[in-house]
Amino acid sequence: MLQYIIKRILLVIPVVILISFVVFYIIQLPPGDYVSSYSAKMSAAGDVMTQAEMDEMRANLGLDRPVYEQYFVWMKKIILHGDFGFSFNFNKPVIDVVGQYMGLTIVVSLVTMLFQYAVAIPIGIYTAVKQYSAGDYFFSGLSFIGMATPNFLLAIILMYLSYTWFGDPLLGLFSNEYVNAPWSMEKVFDLMKHLIIPVIVIGLSSTADLVRIMRGQMLDELNKPNVVTARAKGLSEWSILWKYPTRAALNPIVSTLGWSLSSIFTGATITAIVLNLPIQGPVMYNALLGQDMYLAGSWLLFMALLTVVGTLISDILLAWLDPKIRTEFRGN
Amino acid sequence: MKRNKSFILLLVIMALVMAACSNNAAPKEAEKPKDNTDKPVETAQSDVKEAPMLTALVTAGTLPKLEERMPVQSDIMVQEVVDEIGTYGGDWKMPWTGPGDKWGVGMATEEALFRFNKTGDKVEPNVAKGYEVNDDSTVFTIHLREGMKWSDGVPFTADDVLFYWEHMLTKETFGKKIYDAYYSVDPATGNKALAEVKKVNDYTFTVTHKYPNVQFLERVAIDNKWFFAPAHFHKTILPELVGDAKTLEITKQWGYEDPKVFLVETGYYDWIHYQIPTIRAWVPKNDPNSDQFIYERNPYYWKTDAEGKQLPYMDRIVMTKIQDPSQKLLGTLSGDYNLVTFDSKDFTVLKENEKKGDFRVIPWTQPTWSSAGVQLNQTTPDPNLRKLFQDIRFREALSIGVDRVEISEIVTNGLADPIQASVPEGVIGYQEGWAKQWAEYDPERANQILDELGLTKRDKNNFRIFADGSDLTLDIVEGSPDNAAFLELLKKYYENLGLKLNVKVVDSGTQFDLKYANKIPMHTENISVANVAFRPDTLVPLRVITPWFGHYGLYSSSGGKEGEKPEGDVALILQLWDKVKASKSVDEINQYSNEIVKLHMKNQWVIGYAGPTPVLITASNSVRNVPSNLVWADEYRTLGHGHPSQFYIKQ
Repeated sequence: MLQYIIKRILLVIPVVILISFVVFYIIQLPPGDYVSSYSAKMSAAGDVMTQAEMDEMRANLGLDRPVYEQYFVWMKKIILHGDFGFSFNFNKPVIDVVGQYMGLTIVVSLVTMLFQYAVAIPIGIYTAVKQYSAGDYFFSGLSFIGMATPNFLLAIILMYLSYTWFGDPLLGLFSNEYVNAPWSMEKVFDLMKHLIIPVIVIGLSSTADLVRIMRGQMLDELNKPNVVTARAKGLSEWSILWKYPTRAALNPIVSTLGWSLSSIFTGATITAIVLNLPIQGPVMYNALLGQDMYLAGSWLLFMALLTVVGTLISDILLAWLDPKIRTEFRGN
Repeated sequence: MKRNKSFILLLVIMALVMAACSNNAAPKEAEKPKDNTDKPVETAQSDVKEAPMLTALVTAGTLPKLEERMPVQSDIMVQEVVDEIGTYGGDWKMPWTGPGDKWGVGMATEEALFRFNKTGDKVEPNVAKGYEVNDDSTVFTIHLREGMKWSDGVPFTADDVLFYWEHMLTKETFGKKIYDAYYSVDPATGNKALAEVKKVNDYTFTVTHKYPNVQFLERVAIDNKWFFAPAHFHKTILPELVGDAKTLEITKQWGYEDPKVFLVETGYYDWIHYQIPTIRAWVPKNDPNSDQFIYERNPYYWKTDAEGKQLPYMDRIVMTKIQDPSQKLLGTLSGDYNLVTFDSKDFTVLKENEKKGDFRVIPWTQPTWSSAGVQLNQTTPDPNLRKLFQDIRFREALSIGVDRVEISEIVTNGLADPIQASVPEGVIGYQEGWAKQWAEYDPERANQILDELGLTKRDKNNFRIFADGSDLTLDIVEGSPDNAAFLELLKKYYENLGLKLNVKVVDSGTQFDLKYANKIPMHTENISVANVAFRPDTLVPLRVITPWFGHYGLYSSSGGKEGEKPEGDVALILQLWDKVKASKSVDEINQYSNEIVKLHMKNQWVIGYAGPTPVLITASNSVRNVPSNLVWADEYRTLGHGHPSQFYIKQ
């Protein structure tokens, strides 16, 4: 097992290096660069830059150098100094930009994840145990709708309802008076109030997914011989349910848990833009749009790293949860 | 048992979420009493001369008394109010998309040395107290306000002007070339000479030109309204004075990477940095990248109302970061923002919600020639296409082949008149009858003209092709999808004429690059110009900027080394521009400017399908003193033209 983990960790290194190069190359692919998108933005406000000014800016930012040179400079700084470069959009080091948005991003993602599991797992179990009952049809129907509705559309609908009923579309994560206020009970309540729509919207489609997966897995497990035996031995229905089928049915959910690692740190993107959430998703999106390449590059690299690490974590968790897989390791 | 525990935990979490849901309405109620406590405790109107928040600071001893903060009595600028004398307090709440959006607040709070008057035909002193000019317009003597101070209390003097001129502008430290306004032109040879700036005393300086520069003050008011900088701040960062190593160190301290970028940010975009002293009515207080960027009143602001109350009335500007433009609209409807500007496409939804949202819509006119139209690049590289674009008959055909009534109904909600691209009435350069030129919908005549041009052959899709059999495609390259409705209609009408129209939408950065590379044959940019003599960019090809003249502009800016040599009427426009620059009187300037406009009327390089639409200033009903019916133009600094320091919030 330990050997397996070490082997996996070593494999991560070349994968991440390869990803970093591909990422950097792809960001450079679209025509134009940060300077052209910046000057376009400025000219829209009547502040027109001349060609010479643009060339000078390019030289200042090092954008006139060849791609591989920019890549090596970037990588060198990351490896030697832990310096991920500079965000042109923010005029700040990339690390600072990422840090600014990290706290709220993790809050939103974690609350969303809790919501997903808290809602999906019980419903999944219920619909499986009471298969083809009225409740099953209701929740299954609901989860199909949830899967089929695009998040951002749902966001718009909920904002509309909130605006027409309460006169406040609940944009952002805080009311205006709390944005810069120090943390207090009122601010936490304000945050919770504003979290409702994002959590429902971001969480709904995966909740629906999870309900379906959980239901399918449970149905498979419910009539397995071990469950029948347990029932024959006179164990109560609740303890049978918890001890055998549920544990086995959690298998696919745990194996995908690691993948959510990267989404925890980025948060949703389109939904976050629609709802004006100050989290990483929109920052990342704007970095890509504005060709703010070090920010975008660092982000993609970070996400890739998290995905790789997440997969590793999933494997370890699975081994811990599922005796069958554990034995396979030992057999190695 | 263990499993049961985790199930209970799940239940608790669910209950918490539910609790958060049901909490929805409660905090809203709690906000109400708070507003009451914010009310100023002001009773005797006339003896309160400063905002309560400043009085508190004075009492606490952290701020000098009002008289010590203001210029000497005779040099205080009295700002006329629009409707009534206001009261102190309240926030100007507006959305912004972040530091990239800096010009919105920048223009609204800008303090120019000389600013444009209400009608926009002349400048009036603002930061300057006054000026004298000699008879041949070569020596301008400019007076400053004695006792005026920067927002940190340091006196504002002629040294700040001289420092800016000597160490920043002429050394080009902040990424801009020396502005054109500072050059005078020899009427005989066309040679340019740079002005000289000299200090006379602490509150007076002179600008001396070698040749007459009649429009110097107006051009400075456009090119370089901030003809000054806080010397005491810039002395501590400029590499010339502190050395490259020290500047680099400070650059890093501020979190910047490159000193040049740092100097541009501090020397040019100085209004979003709280570290830099300013003379604006509000001073930035935090990092512009925050979710909320806040400006607070400048305790040293040098303007009062007619009763001697120090401006500004509003305590703060609070700018909330938004990710998408629709949030601006939504926030305005729900009362999150109290003074916001919109373009006319939001007219209907704003008007529908005026009562419910408790705001009013105040239209300002724009000096734009059209709100929907196309520009034909006269230097487009394809020889066939260029010949066609340069043919005045082709432009006529494109113009009369489109039904303007339908365009203005669908694209502008009927707000715009169905007229040709032309100088609107009331704007300098207005020409009688121009709006009607080629404005009548006449597809038959349009087809006939296209046939006469030799475009009689058709391809298998029934689109016209060139006489030599090569493909004829009109390409429009757009930097945003905003014009989709108009372009769809345009495509329909052009295709009815047998002309193939392709619309490419690229990101705005790419579009900018394509423009410089002369790869945009047609574009939908609308001409906006308050007075060609003040800002020639859209009508005179001096550099690559406006799509219709393409690389003629490069020819001028490169001194004939690159680009396309202008010919015919375009060359004539350039000659007229030289005459404008060398003029000795305002009359002369107006005459030549008018001729430039007339050449545009004759050639119609820019075809308009709907007249100009207003800019909609949307102010909460409690926000007062917002003027109506002003001209919204970049030259007049958009909302800044309404003098926001005298806006106030009625409690």
